[in-house]
Amino acid sequence: MKRIALFALFGVAFAVLAVAAGNLGIPPVVITREGEQKIVLLFGDVRDVTAPGLSLAIPFVEVIRTYPSAWLYNSTDAKGIQTKDGEVLVIDNYTVWRIVDPIEFMRSLASVEAAEQRIDRVVRDAVREVVGRHTIGEVLKDQRAALMESITANARHALERYGIEINDVRINRTELPPGTEESVYARMKTERERLAKKNRAEGDERARKIRAEADRDARVIVANARRDAEIQRGLGDAEAARIYGEAYSAEPDFYAFVRSLDAYRKTIDTKTTLVLSPDTEFFRYLEGQGSE
Amino acid sequence: MADEDGLSTEQRVRRSVARTLGNLTLGTVLVGALGVWLSLGVYTLDPGEAAVLLQLGKHVDTVRDPGVHWTLPPPINVRVIENVGMVRNEDFGVPGPGETAEADALVHESSMQTSDNNIVRVSFTVQYRISDPYAARYRIADLPAVVRSASAAAMREVVGRMTVDGVLRERRDALTAEVLTTLQGVFDRYSKDMIVVDAVELQDVQAPAAVREAFDDVVAAIQDASRHVNEAQGYQNQVIPNARAEAVELIESANGYRDARIAEATGEGERFKALSVEYKKAPTVTRKRLFLETMESVLPGVEKVIVKPGQVVPYLPLDRAGAAK
Repeated sequence: MKRIALFALFGVAFAVLAVAAGNLGIPPVVITREGEQKIVLLFGDVRDVTAPGLSLAIPFVEVIRTYPSAWLYNSTDAKGIQTKDGEVLVIDNYTVWRIVDPIEFMRSLASVEAAEQRIDRVVRDAVREVVGRHTIGEVLKDQRAALMESITANARHALERYGIEINDVRINRTELPPGTEESVYARMKTERERLAKKNRAEGDERARKIRAEADRDARVIVANARRDAEIQRGLGDAEAARIYGEAYSAEPDFYAFVRSLDAYRKTIDTKTTLVLSPDTEFFRYLEGQGSE
Repeated sequence: MADEDGLSTEQRVRRSVARTLGNLTLGTVLVGALGVWLSLGVYTLDPGEAAVLLQLGKHVDTVRDPGVHWTLPPPINVRVIENVGMVRNEDFGVPGPGETAEADALVHESSMQTSDNNIVRVSFTVQYRISDPYAARYRIADLPAVVRSASAAAMREVVGRMTVDGVLRERRDALTAEVLTTLQGVFDRYSKDMIVVDAVELQDVQAPAAVREAFDDVVAAIQDASRHVNEAQGYQNQVIPNARAEAVELIESANGYRDARIAEATGEGERFKALSVEYKKAPTVTRKRLFLETMESVLPGVEKVIVKPGQVVPYLPLDRAGAAK
């Protein structure tokens, strides 16, 4: 019993030590971590390709190569590319890729550094080829996403045989070559000046239109009111004439008399000088009073 | 056998006790060591933390519950603790403390081309969280670099679809929303649900320094234009009510005239009718009385010149009264 327990303890300790050594990359235990894949080579022949977890290898005899299995990031430096219409655009991009066939990869490129150089070249060619088929306007504007898809497809096809899978080639920066900024700025400036003038003039136009409309409306409102006012005055005059006519036509003679008296009352005031004949009705008895 | 060893019973007992004790000690040490080793598998997760467990290198579990946990200790199981609650920020073209936004590196980072071939300066911040720590660590290498490049590319892609005026003024909300959607799509393409993009925030959007004055003048021009329009509307708001007030005055005055005329006519008419009723009863007397009454009221304030017959008598319309005599 004691012996078995002891063996068990030593066994566990030994296993732990072996795993610890494996973690440090010392066989016989081979630990493949997540994000890695390992090729076990026996005298140059591929004996095993490992997935994450535990595998075994013969110490000192078998050789182990480790490659990443995760998506890798590689950025390609900016380079001037000519568009279909002869303009030059400086384009940089990045690639997300991974090793899907480590055996092919090991045979053709062997290292991630070599792969990155190859990817740079292939991606640049793809960008040149695809951008060269489009005008600068298309590249800058709406076809950028489609462009990236074509570039990705091109690069994917070209790199397949190295055991590389391309997930994505994305264009980051697209700009005009250095030295052309000044002319861009000059163009932007004149465009802005034009816009400023246009905005001011349009504002002026709208303001004057509003003022003119206001003046017109005001005149129309007043003129309409004048018209309506005259109509009402006319109605008043007409109605008054009708009423007078109706009232006076019964006694036209008496009307003339009464109306004259009214007129005198109204027209004769303190500033008036009256030259009167003693023959008038009023003075009729003035002289005759004494003689009679 | 004991005799062959030449050992006494006492010695044999002593040796056996020693061996047992030795075994016990060794056992205790080994069990203790095992215990200590196993205790290395204890770990604590704070809220917002997650532990990725790798067993002999292989991913077996992602633990997300906060609290104390136990797993097989290293080197069998390796655990990697990652903060999944934390919002991470990536700044683009945002000046740090003591830095100016016109620093070359920042200008380079924030300068972008628009669809109308203008250059615009956009500085922004991307906020994201790692939602799957396993994928973020093991499915993709160099995640921070990927996040930076993908964010910059997404912003340039969306800005490249917009006009300079769209970026500067009109469609800022659309811009950030589109960048967020594009960016989330890109990350999902690398590994689904690995990263959640919480927000894309524009820090500063402006024209390049060389042409900023011209851009500002356009803004000023737009403000000038709207000021002129406002002034004109102010004028309109003054002129139209004035005209309406004048119109009301004119019409009311005319209505007053009309009503007054009618009232006067009615009054005078009625007065005349009443008078003529009396007149019919005694025409001559009434006539005289009326004439004399009128003279009485008219003559007092008047300068009078009375002319004898035979002289030239200036004509006054008193003759009607005379004619009626």
